[in-house]
Amino acid sequence: MIAAMTPTTTKTVIQTVDLSVAYNGKLALKAVNAQFYENTVTALIGPSGCGKSTLLRALNRLNDRIPDAVTQGKVLIDGKDIYARGVNLTRLRREVGMVFQKPNPFPMSIFENVALGPRLHYGLRGRALEEIVEDALRKAALWDEVKDDLKKKSGLALSGGQQQRLCLARMLAVQPRILLMDEPCSALNPISTQEIEELIVELGKQYTVIVVTHNLQQAARISQYTGFLM
Amino acid sequence: MAVKLAHKPAEAGVDWEALVARRDALRLRKNALLTTLLVFTLLAVITYKGASTISWEFLTTPPREGMSAGGIGPMIRGSLLLMLGTFLLATPLGIFGGVCLAEYGDRSRIRRFMHASVAALAGTPPIVYGLFGLAIFVLKFQFGVSLLAGWCTLTLFSLPVIVLTTEAALKTVPEGIINGGLALGLSRWQTLWRLALPYAMPGIMTGVILSLGRAAGEAMPVLFTASIYYASTFPALSWESLRQPVANLPYYLAEGYRQPGVVPEHLIWGACLTLIVLVLLLNVGAIVIRTRARRRYL
Repeated sequence: MIAAMTPTTTKTVIQTVDLSVAYNGKLALKAVNAQFYENTVTALIGPSGCGKSTLLRALNRLNDRIPDAVTQGKVLIDGKDIYARGVNLTRLRREVGMVFQKPNPFPMSIFENVALGPRLHYGLRGRALEEIVEDALRKAALWDEVKDDLKKKSGLALSGGQQQRLCLARMLAVQPRILLMDEPCSALNPISTQEIEELIVELGKQYTVIVVTHNLQQAARISQYTGFLM
Repeated sequence: MAVKLAHKPAEAGVDWEALVARRDALRLRKNALLTTLLVFTLLAVITYKGASTISWEFLTTPPREGMSAGGIGPMIRGSLLLMLGTFLLATPLGIFGGVCLAEYGDRSRIRRFMHASVAALAGTPPIVYGLFGLAIFVLKFQFGVSLLAGWCTLTLFSLPVIVLTTEAALKTVPEGIINGGLALGLSRWQTLWRLALPYAMPGIMTGVILSLGRAAGEAMPVLFTASIYYASTFPALSWESLRQPVANLPYYLAEGYRQPGVVPEHLIWGACLTLIVLVLLLNVGAIVIRTRARRRYL
Protein backbone atom coordinates (compact mmCIF):
# COMPACT_ATOMS: atom_id res chain seq x y z
CA MET A 1 0.00 0.00 0.00
CA ILE A 2 1.09 3.49 -0.76
CA ALA A 3 -0.28 6.13 1.51
CA ALA A 4 0.28 9.84 1.37
CA MET A 5 2.14 10.19 -1.87
CA THR A 6 2.56 13.90 -1.37
CA PRO A 7 5.48 14.79 0.86
CA THR A 8 4.33 16.85 3.76
CA THR A 9 5.42 18.68 6.82
CA THR A 10 2.28 17.77 8.78
CA LYS A 11 2.76 15.82 11.97
CA THR A 12 2.27 12.07 11.74
CA VAL A 13 -0.22 10.81 14.30
CA ILE A 14 -0.56 7.19 13.30
CA GLN A 15 2.08 5.04 11.71
CA THR A 16 1.73 1.37 10.92
CA VAL A 17 4.87 -0.72 10.71
CA ASP A 18 4.65 -3.99 8.77
CA LEU A 19 1.10 -4.42 9.98
CA SER A 20 -0.39 -7.81 9.07
CA VAL A 21 -3.70 -9.27 10.16
CA ALA A 22 -4.80 -12.85 9.59
CA TYR A 23 -8.23 -14.33 10.20
CA ASN A 24 -8.25 -18.07 10.70
CA GLY A 25 -4.76 -18.32 9.25
CA LYS A 26 -5.74 -16.37 6.12
CA LEU A 27 -3.88 -13.15 5.57
CA ALA A 28 -6.30 -10.21 5.28
CA LEU A 29 -3.70 -7.50 5.51
CA LYS A 30 -0.09 -7.94 4.53
CA ALA A 31 2.77 -5.82 5.82
CA VAL A 32 1.12 -2.42 5.60
CA ASN A 33 3.27 0.61 6.21
CA ALA A 34 1.18 3.73 6.28
CA GLN A 35 1.08 7.13 7.88
CA PHE A 36 -1.85 9.27 8.85
CA TYR A 37 -1.49 12.96 9.53
CA GLU A 38 -2.85 15.23 12.19
CA ASN A 39 -6.05 17.17 11.44
CA THR A 40 -6.28 15.66 8.01
CA VAL A 41 -8.80 13.45 6.28
CA THR A 42 -7.29 10.32 4.77
CA ALA A 43 -9.47 8.11 2.61
CA LEU A 44 -8.81 4.40 2.20
CA ILE A 45 -10.00 2.92 -1.06
CA GLY A 46 -9.63 -0.38 -2.82
CA PRO A 47 -11.65 -3.30 -4.11
CA SER A 48 -13.94 -5.07 -1.66
CA GLY A 49 -12.24 -7.70 0.47
CA CYS A 50 -8.87 -5.97 0.20
CA GLY A 51 -8.60 -5.29 3.92
CA LYS A 52 -9.71 -1.68 4.24
CA SER A 53 -12.02 -2.40 7.15
CA THR A 54 -9.47 -4.76 8.67
CA LEU A 55 -6.88 -2.00 8.64
CA LEU A 56 -9.35 0.38 10.25
CA ARG A 57 -10.27 -2.13 12.94
CA ALA A 58 -6.60 -2.75 13.63
CA LEU A 59 -6.22 0.91 14.58
CA ASN A 60 -8.57 0.72 17.57
CA ARG A 61 -7.90 -2.97 18.21
CA LEU A 62 -11.49 -3.94 17.53
CA ASN A 63 -10.09 -7.04 15.81
CA ASP A 64 -9.20 -8.27 19.30
CA ARG A 65 -12.82 -9.28 19.63
CA ILE A 66 -12.61 -11.75 16.75
CA PRO A 67 -11.35 -15.02 18.24
CA ASP A 68 -9.25 -16.15 15.27
CA ALA A 69 -7.71 -12.81 14.36
CA VAL A 70 -3.92 -12.59 14.69
CA THR A 71 -2.19 -9.22 14.36
CA GLN A 72 1.51 -8.74 13.66
CA GLY A 73 3.61 -5.65 13.31
CA LYS A 74 3.10 -2.33 15.03
CA VAL A 75 0.63 0.50 15.10
CA LEU A 76 2.27 3.59 16.52
CA ILE A 77 0.03 6.37 17.79
CA ASP A 78 2.18 9.36 18.78
CA GLY A 79 5.09 6.95 18.59
CA LYS A 80 3.65 4.44 21.05
CA ASP A 81 2.74 0.93 19.93
CA ILE A 82 -0.89 0.23 20.74
CA TYR A 83 -0.21 -3.50 20.51
CA ALA A 84 2.44 -3.34 23.24
CA ARG A 85 1.81 -5.09 26.52
CA GLY A 86 -0.23 -3.31 29.11
CA VAL A 87 -2.01 -0.95 26.72
CA ASN A 88 -5.32 0.14 28.20
CA LEU A 89 -7.99 -0.65 25.60
CA THR A 90 -10.51 1.71 27.16
CA ARG A 91 -8.09 4.62 26.98
CA LEU A 92 -7.10 3.69 23.42
CA ARG A 93 -10.67 3.56 22.18
CA ARG A 94 -11.47 6.81 23.94
CA GLU A 95 -8.71 8.40 21.85
CA VAL A 96 -9.66 6.57 18.68
CA GLY A 97 -13.39 6.74 17.98
CA MET A 98 -15.20 4.76 15.33
CA VAL A 99 -18.41 4.84 13.32
CA PHE A 100 -19.62 1.86 11.36
CA GLN A 101 -21.04 1.11 7.96
CA LYS A 102 -24.51 0.52 9.32
CA PRO A 103 -25.70 3.13 11.82
CA ASN A 104 -25.89 1.41 15.19
CA PRO A 105 -27.63 3.66 17.69
CA PHE A 106 -28.30 2.07 21.05
CA PRO A 107 -31.95 1.30 21.88
CA MET A 108 -32.32 4.25 24.23
CA SER A 109 -33.13 7.95 24.04
CA ILE A 110 -31.07 10.29 21.87
CA PHE A 111 -29.67 11.93 24.98
CA GLU A 112 -28.71 8.61 26.55
CA ASN A 113 -26.99 7.50 23.34
CA VAL A 114 -24.61 10.45 23.50
CA ALA A 115 -24.38 10.68 27.29
CA LEU A 116 -23.42 7.05 27.92
CA GLY A 117 -19.74 7.44 27.00
CA PRO A 118 -18.90 10.63 28.91
CA ARG A 119 -20.91 9.48 31.91
CA LEU A 120 -19.05 6.18 32.19
CA HIS A 121 -15.61 7.50 31.22
CA TYR A 122 -15.51 10.86 32.94
CA GLY A 123 -18.20 10.47 35.59
CA LEU A 124 -20.04 13.52 34.28
CA ARG A 125 -23.59 14.27 35.37
CA GLY A 126 -26.12 17.08 35.41
CA ARG A 127 -25.26 20.34 33.72
CA ALA A 128 -21.76 19.31 32.61
CA LEU A 129 -23.13 16.20 30.96
CA GLU A 130 -25.89 18.11 29.19
CA GLU A 131 -23.36 20.58 27.84
CA ILE A 132 -21.12 17.88 26.46
CA VAL A 133 -24.12 16.16 24.83
CA GLU A 134 -25.28 19.41 23.23
CA ASP A 135 -21.77 20.18 22.04
CA ALA A 136 -21.38 16.72 20.47
CA LEU A 137 -24.78 16.92 18.79
CA ARG A 138 -23.96 20.37 17.42
CA LYS A 139 -20.65 19.12 16.03
CA ALA A 140 -22.54 16.30 14.34
CA ALA A 141 -25.05 18.83 12.90
CA LEU A 142 -27.93 17.06 14.57
CA TRP A 143 -28.75 19.38 17.47
CA ASP A 144 -31.39 21.52 15.72
CA GLU A 145 -33.28 18.47 14.52
CA VAL A 146 -33.45 16.66 17.85
CA LYS A 147 -33.21 19.26 20.61
CA ASP A 148 -36.98 19.25 21.26
CA ASP A 149 -37.35 15.61 22.20
CA LEU A 150 -33.84 14.78 23.21
CA LYS A 151 -34.76 12.65 26.19
CA LYS A 152 -38.04 11.25 24.93
CA LYS A 153 -37.29 10.07 21.43
CA SER A 154 -35.44 6.80 20.88
CA GLY A 155 -32.29 6.89 18.80
CA LEU A 156 -33.84 4.17 16.68
CA ALA A 157 -36.75 6.42 15.73
CA LEU A 158 -34.45 8.69 13.69
CA SER A 159 -33.93 8.42 9.94
CA GLY A 160 -30.88 6.58 8.60
CA GLY A 161 -28.84 9.74 8.02
CA GLN A 162 -29.82 11.13 11.41
CA GLN A 163 -28.87 7.82 13.04
CA GLN A 164 -25.42 7.99 11.48
CA ARG A 165 -24.98 11.56 12.73
CA LEU A 166 -26.13 10.39 16.16
CA CYS A 167 -23.37 7.78 16.05
CA LEU A 168 -20.92 10.52 15.10
CA ALA A 169 -22.11 12.60 18.06
CA ARG A 170 -21.82 9.60 20.36
CA MET A 171 -18.23 9.14 19.24
CA LEU A 172 -17.36 12.84 19.57
CA ALA A 173 -18.81 13.00 23.09
CA VAL A 174 -15.98 10.89 24.53
CA GLN A 175 -13.48 13.46 23.19
CA PRO A 176 -11.42 11.40 20.74
CA ARG A 177 -8.54 12.78 18.65
CA ILE A 178 -8.72 10.24 15.89
CA LEU A 179 -11.91 9.31 14.05
CA LEU A 180 -12.25 6.04 12.14
CA MET A 181 -15.16 5.75 9.73
CA ASP A 182 -15.96 2.49 7.99
CA GLU A 183 -17.94 3.34 4.84
CA PRO A 184 -20.11 5.72 6.84
CA CYS A 185 -22.35 6.61 3.90
CA SER A 186 -22.85 3.28 2.21
CA ALA A 187 -26.20 2.67 3.90
CA LEU A 188 -27.48 6.20 3.29
CA ASN A 189 -29.36 8.02 0.54
CA PRO A 190 -27.62 10.71 -1.59
CA ILE A 191 -28.87 13.64 0.49
CA SER A 192 -27.80 12.10 3.79
CA THR A 193 -24.51 11.12 2.15
CA GLN A 194 -23.87 14.71 1.19
CA GLU A 195 -24.61 15.87 4.74
CA ILE A 196 -22.20 13.34 6.22
CA GLU A 197 -19.53 14.21 3.67
CA GLU A 198 -19.78 17.90 4.58
CA LEU A 199 -19.45 16.91 8.22
CA ILE A 200 -16.34 14.84 7.52
CA VAL A 201 -14.67 17.79 5.78
CA GLU A 202 -15.57 19.98 8.75
CA LEU A 203 -14.34 17.45 11.33
CA GLY A 204 -11.10 17.02 9.38
CA LYS A 205 -10.04 20.47 10.54
CA GLN A 206 -9.96 19.43 14.18
CA TYR A 207 -9.53 15.67 14.10
CA THR A 208 -7.37 13.08 12.41
CA VAL A 209 -9.95 11.34 10.26
CA ILE A 210 -9.58 8.05 8.40
CA VAL A 211 -12.48 7.12 6.13
CA VAL A 212 -12.91 3.82 4.35
CA THR A 213 -14.88 4.22 1.15
CA HIS A 214 -15.39 2.30 -2.05
CA ASN A 215 -16.29 5.44 -3.90
CA LEU A 216 -13.44 7.23 -5.70
CA GLN A 217 -15.44 10.40 -6.15
CA GLN A 218 -16.21 10.46 -2.47
CA ALA A 219 -12.54 10.03 -1.63
CA ALA A 220 -11.75 12.95 -3.92
CA ARG A 221 -14.44 15.12 -2.37
CA ILE A 222 -13.59 14.61 1.28
CA SER A 223 -9.93 13.71 1.69
CA GLN A 224 -6.56 15.39 1.46
CA TYR A 225 -4.76 12.05 1.29
CA THR A 226 -5.81 8.73 -0.11
CA GLY A 227 -4.49 5.30 0.63
CA PHE A 228 -5.08 2.61 -1.94
CA LEU A 229 -5.19 -1.01 -0.83
CA MET A 230 -5.31 -4.03 -3.03
CA MET B 1 -52.41 -16.47 2.86
CA ALA B 2 -54.97 -17.98 0.55
CA VAL B 3 -54.16 -17.48 -3.11
CA LYS B 4 -56.97 -16.37 -5.36
CA LEU B 5 -56.93 -18.71 -8.32
CA ALA B 6 -59.72 -16.85 -10.05
CA HIS B 7 -57.34 -14.13 -11.17
CA LYS B 8 -55.13 -16.55 -13.06
CA PRO B 9 -55.79 -16.57 -16.80
CA ALA B 10 -57.28 -19.87 -17.93
CA GLU B 11 -54.56 -20.60 -20.48
CA ALA B 12 -51.94 -20.56 -17.77
CA GLY B 13 -53.17 -24.00 -16.79
CA VAL B 14 -53.20 -25.23 -13.22
CA ASP B 15 -50.94 -23.24 -10.92
CA TRP B 16 -49.68 -26.08 -8.77
CA GLU B 17 -47.56 -23.89 -6.58
CA ALA B 18 -50.53 -21.77 -5.63
CA LEU B 19 -52.63 -24.85 -4.99
CA VAL B 20 -50.00 -26.38 -2.73
CA ALA B 21 -49.55 -23.10 -0.89
CA ARG B 22 -53.28 -22.90 -0.37
CA ARG B 23 -53.48 -26.46 0.84
CA ASP B 24 -50.64 -25.86 3.32
CA ALA B 25 -52.25 -22.68 4.56
CA LEU B 26 -55.52 -24.50 5.10
CA ARG B 27 -53.80 -27.36 6.91
CA LEU B 28 -51.94 -24.96 9.14
CA ARG B 29 -55.14 -23.14 9.96
CA LYS B 30 -56.94 -26.40 10.64
CA ASN B 31 -54.23 -27.58 13.04
CA ALA B 32 -54.05 -24.26 14.82
CA LEU B 33 -57.82 -24.28 15.15
CA LEU B 34 -57.80 -27.82 16.52
CA THR B 35 -55.17 -27.02 19.15
CA THR B 36 -56.93 -23.85 20.20
CA LEU B 37 -60.21 -25.73 20.35
CA LEU B 38 -58.69 -28.36 22.64
CA VAL B 39 -57.30 -25.77 25.01
CA PHE B 40 -60.55 -23.86 25.07
CA THR B 41 -62.59 -27.02 25.68
CA LEU B 42 -60.35 -27.78 28.63
CA LEU B 43 -60.70 -24.26 29.97
CA ALA B 44 -64.45 -24.29 29.36
CA VAL B 45 -64.96 -27.55 31.24
CA ILE B 46 -62.89 -26.41 34.20
CA THR B 47 -64.57 -23.02 34.24
CA TYR B 48 -68.00 -24.64 34.03
CA LYS B 49 -67.23 -27.02 36.87
CA GLY B 50 -65.29 -24.61 39.03
CA ALA B 51 -66.78 -21.16 38.52
CA SER B 52 -69.72 -21.69 40.87
CA THR B 53 -67.32 -22.52 43.70
CA ILE B 54 -65.25 -19.36 43.33
CA SER B 55 -66.13 -16.67 45.81
CA TRP B 56 -64.22 -14.24 47.96
CA GLU B 57 -64.74 -16.55 50.88
CA PHE B 58 -63.42 -19.56 48.94
CA LEU B 59 -60.26 -17.69 47.98
CA THR B 60 -59.50 -16.23 51.38
CA THR B 61 -60.60 -18.62 54.12
CA PRO B 62 -58.95 -21.86 55.26
CA PRO B 63 -60.63 -25.25 54.88
CA ARG B 64 -63.11 -26.28 57.57
CA GLU B 65 -64.55 -29.51 58.90
CA GLY B 66 -61.59 -31.74 58.15
CA MET B 67 -61.01 -30.32 54.64
CA SER B 68 -64.54 -31.10 53.55
CA ALA B 69 -65.73 -27.48 53.47
CA GLY B 70 -64.44 -23.90 53.53
CA GLY B 71 -61.91 -22.27 51.22
CA ILE B 72 -58.38 -22.67 49.93
CA GLY B 73 -56.81 -19.47 51.30
CA PRO B 74 -53.72 -21.14 52.84
CA MET B 75 -53.04 -23.03 49.61
CA ILE B 76 -53.12 -19.85 47.54
CA ARG B 77 -50.92 -18.06 50.03
CA GLY B 78 -48.51 -21.01 50.13
CA SER B 79 -48.26 -21.13 46.35
CA LEU B 80 -47.64 -17.38 46.19
CA LEU B 81 -44.98 -17.66 48.92
CA LEU B 82 -43.26 -20.51 47.09
CA MET B 83 -43.27 -18.52 43.86
CA LEU B 84 -42.02 -15.32 45.45
CA GLY B 85 -39.00 -17.02 47.00
CA THR B 86 -38.30 -18.98 43.84
CA PHE B 87 -38.49 -15.78 41.80
CA LEU B 88 -36.03 -14.00 44.10
CA LEU B 89 -33.56 -16.90 44.11
CA ALA B 90 -33.85 -18.19 40.56
CA THR B 91 -33.85 -14.88 38.65
CA PRO B 92 -30.35 -13.64 39.56
CA LEU B 93 -28.85 -17.13 39.49
CA GLY B 94 -30.43 -17.99 36.15
CA ILE B 95 -29.46 -14.71 34.50
CA PHE B 96 -25.91 -15.10 35.81
CA GLY B 97 -25.76 -18.62 34.38
CA GLY B 98 -27.13 -17.48 31.04
CA VAL B 99 -24.62 -14.63 30.85
CA CYS B 100 -21.76 -17.03 31.56
CA LEU B 101 -22.95 -19.40 28.86
CA ALA B 102 -23.47 -16.67 26.28
CA GLU B 103 -20.46 -14.47 26.92
CA TYR B 104 -17.62 -16.63 28.04
CA GLY B 105 -15.57 -19.36 26.42
CA ASP B 106 -17.64 -19.22 23.29
CA ARG B 107 -15.85 -21.97 21.46
CA SER B 108 -14.75 -24.17 24.29
CA ARG B 109 -15.83 -27.74 24.64
CA ILE B 110 -16.76 -27.06 28.26
CA ARG B 111 -19.27 -24.44 27.16
CA ARG B 112 -20.88 -26.85 24.71
CA PHE B 113 -20.99 -29.52 27.39
CA MET B 114 -22.56 -27.08 29.83
CA HIS B 115 -25.16 -26.02 27.30
CA ALA B 116 -26.11 -29.61 26.56
CA SER B 117 -26.34 -30.36 30.30
CA VAL B 118 -28.60 -27.41 31.01
CA ALA B 119 -30.81 -28.33 28.06
CA ALA B 120 -31.06 -31.86 29.41
CA LEU B 121 -31.93 -30.51 32.85
CA ALA B 122 -34.72 -28.43 31.31
CA GLY B 123 -36.26 -31.66 30.07
CA THR B 124 -35.77 -33.63 33.28
CA PRO B 125 -39.06 -34.84 34.82
CA PRO B 126 -40.22 -32.79 37.82
CA ILE B 127 -40.29 -35.83 40.08
CA VAL B 128 -36.51 -36.14 39.73
CA TYR B 129 -36.19 -32.61 41.10
CA GLY B 130 -38.53 -33.56 43.91
CA LEU B 131 -36.43 -36.57 44.90
CA PHE B 132 -33.20 -34.62 44.52
CA GLY B 133 -34.59 -31.88 46.76
CA LEU B 134 -35.63 -34.49 49.29
CA ALA B 135 -32.18 -36.07 49.34
CA ILE B 136 -30.14 -32.86 49.35
CA PHE B 137 -32.14 -30.04 50.92
CA VAL B 138 -34.55 -31.86 53.20
CA LEU B 139 -32.21 -34.60 54.46
CA LYS B 140 -28.59 -33.69 53.76
CA PHE B 141 -28.87 -29.97 54.61
CA GLN B 142 -31.50 -30.79 57.24
CA PHE B 143 -33.89 -28.08 56.09
CA GLY B 144 -36.68 -30.56 56.76
CA VAL B 145 -39.90 -30.52 54.74
CA SER B 146 -40.15 -26.77 54.63
CA LEU B 147 -40.72 -23.59 52.67
CA LEU B 148 -36.96 -23.18 52.44
CA ALA B 149 -36.43 -26.64 50.94
CA GLY B 150 -39.32 -25.91 48.55
CA TRP B 151 -37.69 -22.66 47.41
CA CYS B 152 -34.39 -24.41 46.78
CA THR B 153 -35.99 -27.27 44.87
CA LEU B 154 -38.24 -25.03 42.77
CA THR B 155 -35.26 -22.76 42.08
CA LEU B 156 -33.33 -25.71 40.68
CA PHE B 157 -36.42 -26.68 38.72
CA SER B 158 -36.80 -23.19 37.16
CA LEU B 159 -33.10 -22.50 36.59
CA PRO B 160 -32.51 -24.39 33.32
CA VAL B 161 -35.30 -22.58 31.47
CA ILE B 162 -34.14 -19.18 32.76
CA VAL B 163 -30.52 -19.95 31.85
CA LEU B 164 -31.46 -21.05 28.34
CA THR B 165 -33.80 -18.13 27.64
CA THR B 166 -31.21 -15.68 28.96
CA GLU B 167 -28.56 -17.21 26.73
CA ALA B 168 -30.90 -17.12 23.73
CA ALA B 169 -31.96 -13.53 24.46
CA LEU B 170 -28.34 -12.39 24.70
CA LYS B 171 -27.61 -14.03 21.36
CA THR B 172 -30.24 -11.80 19.74
CA VAL B 173 -28.37 -8.63 20.73
CA PRO B 174 -27.18 -7.16 17.41
CA GLU B 175 -23.44 -7.29 16.80
CA GLY B 176 -23.59 -3.59 15.90
CA ILE B 177 -24.62 -2.66 19.42
CA ILE B 178 -21.80 -4.66 21.01
CA ASN B 179 -19.25 -3.25 18.58
CA GLY B 180 -20.62 0.24 19.14
CA GLY B 181 -20.14 -0.11 22.87
CA LEU B 182 -16.62 -1.51 22.59
CA ALA B 183 -15.64 1.16 20.05
CA LEU B 184 -16.74 3.80 22.58
CA GLY B 185 -14.18 2.33 24.97
CA LEU B 186 -16.66 0.55 27.23
CA SER B 187 -15.25 -2.51 28.92
CA ARG B 188 -16.68 -5.91 28.19
CA TRP B 189 -18.51 -5.78 31.49
CA GLN B 190 -19.96 -2.31 30.80
CA THR B 191 -21.04 -3.38 27.33
CA LEU B 192 -22.81 -6.36 28.82
CA TRP B 193 -24.37 -4.51 31.73
CA ARG B 194 -25.32 -1.25 29.99
CA LEU B 195 -26.17 -2.45 26.49
CA ALA B 196 -26.60 -6.19 26.03
CA LEU B 197 -28.60 -6.99 29.18
CA PRO B 198 -31.08 -4.11 28.82
CA TYR B 199 -31.61 -5.08 25.19
CA ALA B 200 -32.19 -8.71 26.14
CA MET B 201 -34.22 -7.98 29.29
CA PRO B 202 -37.72 -8.37 27.80
CA GLY B 203 -36.77 -11.82 26.51
CA ILE B 204 -35.16 -12.73 29.81
CA MET B 205 -38.16 -11.62 31.87
CA THR B 206 -40.47 -13.56 29.57
CA GLY B 207 -38.41 -16.67 30.29
CA VAL B 208 -38.41 -15.99 34.02
CA ILE B 209 -42.18 -15.58 34.18
CA LEU B 210 -42.89 -18.58 31.99
CA SER B 211 -40.65 -20.82 34.07
CA LEU B 212 -42.27 -19.46 37.24
CA GLY B 213 -45.66 -20.34 35.80
CA ARG B 214 -44.40 -23.84 35.18
CA ALA B 215 -43.02 -24.07 38.71
CA ALA B 216 -46.29 -22.78 40.19
CA GLY B 217 -48.27 -25.58 38.59
CA GLU B 218 -46.00 -28.50 39.40
CA ALA B 219 -46.80 -30.71 42.38
CA MET B 220 -43.85 -33.06 42.05
CA PRO B 221 -40.94 -30.81 43.07
CA VAL B 222 -42.74 -29.73 46.24
CA LEU B 223 -44.31 -33.10 46.98
CA PHE B 224 -41.59 -34.34 49.33
CA THR B 225 -39.85 -31.06 50.02
CA ALA B 226 -42.30 -28.39 51.09
CA SER B 227 -45.88 -29.52 51.17
CA ILE B 228 -48.45 -30.03 53.83
CA TYR B 229 -51.96 -31.13 53.03
CA TYR B 230 -53.95 -30.47 56.13
CA ALA B 231 -53.98 -26.69 56.60
CA SER B 232 -56.91 -25.36 58.54
CA THR B 233 -55.34 -22.07 59.62
CA PHE B 234 -53.11 -19.32 58.33
CA PRO B 235 -49.89 -19.84 60.28
CA ALA B 236 -48.30 -16.47 61.16
CA LEU B 237 -45.28 -15.61 59.03
CA SER B 238 -41.92 -15.38 60.76
CA TRP B 239 -38.39 -16.65 60.34
CA GLU B 240 -39.71 -19.87 61.79
CA SER B 241 -42.02 -20.28 58.78
CA LEU B 242 -38.96 -20.90 56.62
CA ARG B 243 -38.51 -24.22 58.37
CA GLN B 244 -42.15 -25.20 58.24
CA PRO B 245 -44.04 -26.87 55.40
CA VAL B 246 -46.64 -24.90 53.45
CA ALA B 247 -49.90 -25.85 51.83
CA ASN B 248 -50.01 -25.15 48.11
CA LEU B 249 -52.43 -25.51 45.23
CA PRO B 250 -50.85 -28.30 43.15
CA TYR B 251 -50.32 -30.51 46.15
CA TYR B 252 -53.82 -29.82 47.43
CA LEU B 253 -55.18 -30.90 44.03
CA ALA B 254 -53.09 -34.06 43.88
CA GLU B 255 -53.77 -35.14 47.44
CA GLY B 256 -57.38 -34.00 47.57
CA TYR B 257 -58.17 -36.00 44.49
CA ARG B 258 -56.43 -39.08 45.87
CA GLN B 259 -58.66 -39.13 48.91
CA PRO B 260 -62.12 -39.44 47.44
CA GLY B 261 -65.01 -38.52 49.58
CA VAL B 262 -63.02 -36.30 51.92
CA VAL B 263 -62.71 -33.23 49.74
CA PRO B 264 -65.91 -32.64 47.81
CA GLU B 265 -65.55 -32.45 44.06
CA HIS B 266 -66.63 -28.84 43.68
CA LEU B 267 -63.78 -27.70 45.93
CA ILE B 268 -61.28 -29.53 43.71
CA TRP B 269 -62.71 -27.93 40.56
CA GLY B 270 -62.61 -24.53 42.21
CA ALA B 271 -58.97 -24.97 43.22
CA CYS B 272 -58.18 -26.25 39.73
CA LEU B 273 -59.68 -23.15 38.14
CA THR B 274 -57.83 -20.92 40.62
CA LEU B 275 -54.49 -22.52 39.73
CA ILE B 276 -55.11 -22.22 35.99
CA VAL B 277 -56.11 -18.57 36.30
CA LEU B 278 -52.97 -17.92 38.37
CA VAL B 279 -50.71 -19.46 35.72
CA LEU B 280 -52.65 -17.73 32.92
CA LEU B 281 -52.20 -14.39 34.66
CA LEU B 282 -48.46 -15.01 34.83
CA ASN B 283 -48.35 -15.80 31.12
CA VAL B 284 -50.41 -12.74 30.23
CA GLY B 285 -47.98 -10.74 32.38
CA ALA B 286 -45.10 -12.12 30.32
CA ILE B 287 -46.78 -11.07 27.07
CA VAL B 288 -47.54 -7.60 28.38
CA ILE B 289 -43.93 -7.11 29.49
CA ARG B 290 -42.67 -8.21 26.10
CA THR B 291 -44.94 -6.02 23.99
CA ARG B 292 -44.48 -2.96 26.19
CA ALA B 293 -40.70 -3.33 26.11
CA ARG B 294 -40.77 -3.72 22.35
CA ARG B 295 -42.77 -0.54 22.00
CA ARG B 296 -40.37 1.34 24.25
CA TYR B 297 -37.41 0.50 22.07
CA LEU B 298 -38.89 2.03 18.95
